[in-house]
Amino acid sequence: MELEAGAEMNYNNYETSYTSYGAGGGAAGGGFIPGEGSQQSPGGRREYTQDSLRPVTIKQILEAQSEAGGNDAFKIDGAVISQIRNISTQTTNITYRLDDGTGSIEVKQWLDSDTVDQTNPTKAKLVEGAYCRAWGKLKSFNDRRSVSAQIIRPVEDMNEVSYHLLEATAMHLHFTRGAPGSAQAGTATTNGSAGQQQAAGGGNYGGYDLAGYTPVAKRVFQYLREAPQSNEGLNQHEIAAKLGIDTADIARAGDDLLAGGLIYTTVDDQTWAILEAD
Amino acid sequence: MDHPQTPRILAPHLSNFQHRIVRMLGKVVQLRGETAVIDAGGQVDVILSRDSHLTVGHAVEIIGKVDGNLAVKVQAATDFGTNIDFNAANAVVEATHRYKDIFYDEN
Repeated sequence: MELEAGAEMNYNNYETSYTSYGAGGGAAGGGFIPGEGSQQSPGGRREYTQDSLRPVTIKQILEAQSEAGGNDAFKIDGAVISQIRNISTQTTNITYRLDDGTGSIEVKQWLDSDTVDQTNPTKAKLVEGAYCRAWGKLKSFNDRRSVSAQIIRPVEDMNEVSYHLLEATAMHLHFTRGAPGSAQAGTATTNGSAGQQQAAGGGNYGGYDLAGYTPVAKRVFQYLREAPQSNEGLNQHEIAAKLGIDTADIARAGDDLLAGGLIYTTVDDQTWAILEAD
Repeated sequence: MDHPQTPRILAPHLSNFQHRIVRMLGKVVQLRGETAVIDAGGQVDVILSRDSHLTVGHAVEIIGKVDGNLAVKVQAATDFGTNIDFNAANAVVEATHRYKDIFYDEN
């Protein structure tokens, strides 16, 4: 729900549309910005039609896997928001070292000879310690990753930092768990905000954090922890019978606990055991 | 050159992050010379560095190391002004711990 609120914030006219999220990338390439197209690598033209940008953290960039066969195509290109740690200006580019708390990476903005002389008011705000939003393509050279940025602009409303990180999380969940609306992703998000209110009232679950889970989920977890069982864990029907709760509710609670990584399925999808933290 | 990961945390997480460098967003409650108190999901004692400039009532983002007394020794502080939605910021912290894969590594 925080995401909805965030989306209403009106960032200035640099806003890029994150259209084609789909892996296949539709015909209209998502985030590539028309008019900034003079930045093809010198080696020749590349097809940009499959490009799409999504909000990411730097950790995601550093861990992104290169696509099989593609020389410098990554599965993730994206937009990051982060703090500028260092700026080095060269004749052909400006290199920013950006740090968003999840990692740090160099972001290069190639200078267009036509625009070099223009005094750009946004540039003046891109100073060390300031936050910026950068859009660009992930590059790798001698195992060193960098981002070649189309646009870097300063962040003026610091709420944009929260907005970006929540959006990056939402996109991550979209890709790893499917679109919201499919049951699991939906409940996970709802629980996220509920967790805010319940954070203080957590019970004793032996070092596990169950803040944000439904009361049924908490009971299921507690029962799984305490009831005698083999290493196959317990079947949801057995739990339902013992706790006197409807099986459908138990199943939903189980989905939440599975999604949160607190339990795992054993012999079949309906049989669960506690995932021991190490 | 190298910038370590700085997990985003709130006051209740401090004990789990002792001796680590963290990132906290909170509201400045009190300035006491070389220390300060910020509210980040609970009161946190902050040990200031010479060049950290905090303003009471403003939001501040602190990067610092959590010491044995759960105080945070500031390495860098950035003023976030007076217009911060702390509900959103706290939801971010919750998300970073729930979905750590994309935010930080355990160590």
